[in-house]
Amino acid sequence: MPALAIPPWSPMPPPEVLAGFEIWDSYLTQSRGAALMPSLEALMPVVERFALQKLCFFADVGLGTGNAAVEKWAREHSNEIEAPLRRWPDLMLGMIQLNAGDVPASMRALDRWLRDGTMKGVYFPGSAPGGLNCTHPNFDPLVARIHELGGAIMVHTWFKTGEEAGPHGSTPADLVALAARHPRQTFICAHAGGNWELGIQAVRGSPNIVVETSGFDATAGFIEMAARELGAERILFGSHLPSRSLGTELGKVLFADIGEEEKKLILGGNFRRLLGMGR
Amino acid sequence: MSHLLPRRSVLRLMLACPALAADLRASSSAAADAGESGLVDVNASLFHWPFRRLPDDEPGLLAARLRKLGFHQAWAGSYEALLHRDPDTVNSRLADACTRHGGGLFRPVGCVNPALPGWEETLRRCAEKHAMHAIRLHPNYHGYTLEDPAFERLLALAAQAGLLIQLAASMEDTRTQHPLAHVPDVDLRPLPELLSGHPQARLMLLNHRPAAAVTAPLAALPNVWFDTARTEATDGVARLVALAGRERVVFGSHAPFLIPEAALIRVEEAMLAGLPEADAAALLGANAARLAAR
Repeated sequence: MPALAIPPWSPMPPPEVLAGFEIWDSYLTQSRGAALMPSLEALMPVVERFALQKLCFFADVGLGTGNAAVEKWAREHSNEIEAPLRRWPDLMLGMIQLNAGDVPASMRALDRWLRDGTMKGVYFPGSAPGGLNCTHPNFDPLVARIHELGGAIMVHTWFKTGEEAGPHGSTPADLVALAARHPRQTFICAHAGGNWELGIQAVRGSPNIVVETSGFDATAGFIEMAARELGAERILFGSHLPSRSLGTELGKVLFADIGEEEKKLILGGNFRRLLGMGR
Repeated sequence: MSHLLPRRSVLRLMLACPALAADLRASSSAAADAGESGLVDVNASLFHWPFRRLPDDEPGLLAARLRKLGFHQAWAGSYEALLHRDPDTVNSRLADACTRHGGGLFRPVGCVNPALPGWEETLRRCAEKHAMHAIRLHPNYHGYTLEDPAFERLLALAAQAGLLIQLAASMEDTRTQHPLAHVPDVDLRPLPELLSGHPQARLMLLNHRPAAAVTAPLAALPNVWFDTARTEATDGVARLVALAGRERVVFGSHAPFLIPEAALIRVEEAMLAGLPEADAAALLGANAARLAAR
């Protein structure tokens, strides 16, 4: 499909300018299972227009992190789990979703997909069926093994008004407790806790925690507070595509009142450094 | 002048030279008066969000940002409307600020709270004293439901007065609200039946997150419009236009609480998802202009 002309009213810079930010997306939430590849195909026009250089997806690998259909697909099509990495080798990065409730199976998955495979790290989901509060001791052997393998760790976190995180979810405060037990490992606090004023304050005393930016409305002032309290070096851009939009997620960073160099760190530099792929 | 230079060049000049900026704003206003198409934001607000300071919560700052983005009109409510219990002073301050800031950018949208005694007089003042074209409702912050008889009476009175009703379905994600002001989104399910009984009423939903079960029955009515402020996903705006029709979707930013650029870019994403250019133009300005002109 031919590229559309950029509308004159669009505040988004043209692709050649965006390319200068070297944007690496740390959080993609595409449809899973059999729907994975078509949903990624559908994203390509926005990926091209907004000059995303890398997308990081979180594969269900049959550990009980998805619904029944996703689990069945993952078990029956394990050779397809890395298909996005083969199809778009210059674009896609992958992490696997672990189920900390099943440590032996998770350990085997780490060997298969990180030690012997191409996955870059681990995503711990934040809800049933495969989520587990990250203060649980089951996390300790998993974190130690991921650290040995040089993997990244992202934990879904939310402080939801009026709700407790519960046994299947985690808050940024929970992640602080886990990070204190593993000071040599860097942890990515997905969604900055959603309630970002609280999330930022919770993690700011934990230098081995960085926050990820996606998953909530484009509330003004978020990035400014995160940069002020954490430093731009501790913020990672995430798109939350396709359930969120790049207007919302990229807009948070591009139109924040911070410096251009700080934006470059947030949009890609920090993630590259964390993955050991930086310059 | 703006037709001779690329828009970004004009913006850089405006930033570098305030006097030129004033001239260009006047020119832009004149163009708007002449009926030329331009961007309209139907969902802006002035003053301070009750729970945090925002980067553009001073009217002059918000006006500069919206002007920079190319808006020639922004329909502005007041954040004071959420919790204050004297809406007439809220509306007077709003009308005054809209006159003093933005060079004609802002059109004030007064609040009416039908849970308060004497609300009919507030509505009358919006229409007659302030010559407003619209009013804004916050049922969830004001403590009434759409099944309240006062709401139906408000529909009738607003229609008689020729006032467009903006109903804010939400102001903030319930997950991130202050724990002492934890308000659910407005339950919109009574609206289709109510509006069917008041065909002269015109109602615009702000900050509604489309959900098929709720949105589809509303989209089937001829007197409901939808803004785009909280329409998410890469193809969310395109899907909303497909559901509601090109004439009944309008651009709303929910600035300064939300970043206005984000909402504009979502329209560009919708075009990448197949939204025709003419439909984008309609939702960015023409539809709102038509509503404001009635």
